[in-house]
Amino acid sequence: MSDLSSGGTEQFEFRGKAGEWFGIWIVNLLLSIITIGIYSAWAKVRTKKYFYNHTFVQGRNFDYHATGGQILIGRLIFIGGYIAFSLIISLVPFLGIILVLGLLVLIPWLIVKSMQFNARVSSFSNVRFNFVGKTGRAFVVFVLMPVAAYIVIAALLGGGGMLAFANGSIALGAILGIAGLVVMFIAFPIVDKAIKQYVVNNYRLGNAEFLLDVSLTPFIKAFGFAFGWIILILAITGITMGGSVMGAFEALEAMENGAPPDAGAIGLLGLLYVMFFVAFLPAGFIYQALIRNTMYNNTTLTGGHSFRSTVGPAKLLWIALSNAIVVAFTIGLMLPWAHVRMHKYLASQTFLIPGGSLDDFIGKQVEDGMSVADAYTDLEGVDFGVPL
Amino acid sequence: MADADPYQRLGLSVNGWAFAAGSSARQTARLLTRGPVQGEGAGPDDVIVDVVDAGGMVITSAPLSTIKVDPPIGSAARKLHFPDRALFESEDRTGIAALTGETYGEKLNRYEALHPRLIGFVVAAVIGCFIIWKYGLDLLVAGAIALTPPIVVEQLDRGTLQTIDFAMSAEPTTLTEDEQARITAIFANLLAELPADDVNDANFNLLFRSMEKVGPNAFALPGGTVIMTDQFAKRFPQDDVLAGVLGHEIGHVVEKHGLTQTYRSLGLYFIIGFLAGDTGPFIEDILLEGNLLLSLSFSRKHEAEADKFGVSLTRDAGYNPAGLKLFFLEMSKKGAEPVEWLSTHPNSTERVKQIDEYVDALE
Repeated sequence: MSDLSSGGTEQFEFRGKAGEWFGIWIVNLLLSIITIGIYSAWAKVRTKKYFYNHTFVQGRNFDYHATGGQILIGRLIFIGGYIAFSLIISLVPFLGIILVLGLLVLIPWLIVKSMQFNARVSSFSNVRFNFVGKTGRAFVVFVLMPVAAYIVIAALLGGGGMLAFANGSIALGAILGIAGLVVMFIAFPIVDKAIKQYVVNNYRLGNAEFLLDVSLTPFIKAFGFAFGWIILILAITGITMGGSVMGAFEALEAMENGAPPDAGAIGLLGLLYVMFFVAFLPAGFIYQALIRNTMYNNTTLTGGHSFRSTVGPAKLLWIALSNAIVVAFTIGLMLPWAHVRMHKYLASQTFLIPGGSLDDFIGKQVEDGMSVADAYTDLEGVDFGVPL
Repeated sequence: MADADPYQRLGLSVNGWAFAAGSSARQTARLLTRGPVQGEGAGPDDVIVDVVDAGGMVITSAPLSTIKVDPPIGSAARKLHFPDRALFESEDRTGIAALTGETYGEKLNRYEALHPRLIGFVVAAVIGCFIIWKYGLDLLVAGAIALTPPIVVEQLDRGTLQTIDFAMSAEPTTLTEDEQARITAIFANLLAELPADDVNDANFNLLFRSMEKVGPNAFALPGGTVIMTDQFAKRFPQDDVLAGVLGHEIGHVVEKHGLTQTYRSLGLYFIIGFLAGDTGPFIEDILLEGNLLLSLSFSRKHEAEADKFGVSLTRDAGYNPAGLKLFFLEMSKKGAEPVEWLSTHPNSTERVKQIDEYVDALE
């Protein structure tokens, strides 16, 4: 056995090639169309397998073991359940209320089962991952905490606004409003940290446990940077074009009532629209990049292994933006190239710092679990695969 | 049999690496084949596959028929899963092919390879996407509408009404009770002409709001809530005009234009994500926005349909079907209108012409 405890850093590497992935992608697309969507279950497996198989660290790759049949059955059961649910709600509205309440419990359960399924059908170096999170805790982090935070923030901001505008108690309103903002600045990071810790700390590679040991500070910082960016852009927009924007809105209103179109007003509104994207999209990337780095840099794996991520928000934004432009101008045909480019970048910024040999993980045999839950998270557009 | 070297019998030797059952230890290994010996549980035509490490020690061994061979993908190593969960991997594709023959998925792998025929696939896929967009989407939307529980649509109405009240700064109506009762009676007269199925399918309800900013207008929400502004009722007090506009709004509800529009935008977005995979945050936004533009053009078609529906319904209820025209004539008098593609509604002059045609057709 090789011993690599010499403190070296192992870079992740994505060896996929755009041309090769294009062939798989276009066949996936074509077969999915021809089979009115049925093949998409197999297409999903091939996609995952391609990206997992071509992602390496220390000469070992990942693998994805679910079968197209498993995914298809999961999807069929899910669709059946959804239709039954809709019918019951339509026919027996009273039962519907109970069912809707049941969803509050069902959704966290499905999320847990989906993470479990995805972990169990994924492997690294011949050892399967696992997820051992409990539904109760999932309910707390995915439902209870976000809802409670939302209610408190909405009450403070709404109450503040009401006092300031309706009652004229501007000072009291402002205090409540500021309190609302402060709570938001703390609550959002708390909820997100709880979710990230729930996911990572319940992940296993064979018997080895992942542990995300992190303070709240980096989460508050990341949220602050992202939020700060939005405020900055909105402030710049407001200062430079505030007056003319009001004018443009008035012109637009007049147009709706039949006044002649005003090209200047339309142009200004277009610019405003662009500024909206400039404010919000980069904020998302700033947060995403900083949190990814925080997560990797504070996660350890039994055996003394740790991780490092050095994703730069600006670089991530640039890749996503230029990818989008290229894809848009090629009616989507360069999408496989864009996928490969993004994966190559993310892998190249991810490192493993082995605390010992990677030969010592021991696999445990467990059932794959429920593919129905995977169908649910697929539909929701959430990817609970191994976060590479 | 005992005299022959078992490894020579089938002459196969493939280099690669192996993982013992449940272990992450990656070791250089060689795959060798031999004929079965007694008691190994292999059929007469089967061969035994042994995986040995650099020192010649057997890591795992099994009859070929019990080994699961992963379908090839891209240029990744071929993988052989042994029944004891040991794994052998090799980049020697010809070696593996000699052992397994053509495996499941190999044909697929060949079609996926970079080859001029992919151009044909691209053309076929583009045509397929166009067909889905043109025909498949409508089917999907119809299915989704059928599956949407009425309670959800009612909730949608309630939420939208709140948004309208807030965002368009709606005030409580200033119309007199008599005035409200008169318009509500017209609404009821129109509903009386609808087939019972259409009436039961929605939760028809006429509401009045004072909206200075919006001016004379009326809206229909998907669940059957129709909102008329005081500004409209004051400017167009004639029964025929009121009936015309209410009939038009009832048309939107009966023909489920609201839900159709929502589902079309969402449906295309979902189908693309589903078929093409993750498109990234920018493209996702462009797709949603692009669909919004497309749904505007769809909405012009909806307006024309609702006009036609309204004209026919008002006539059935005993009003002058040309009443709706008055409203548009009034609107078009106010001056030039925004170019058609920018607007959710076809321009008024165009609509007046259309309404005349509908009325002529009815007579």
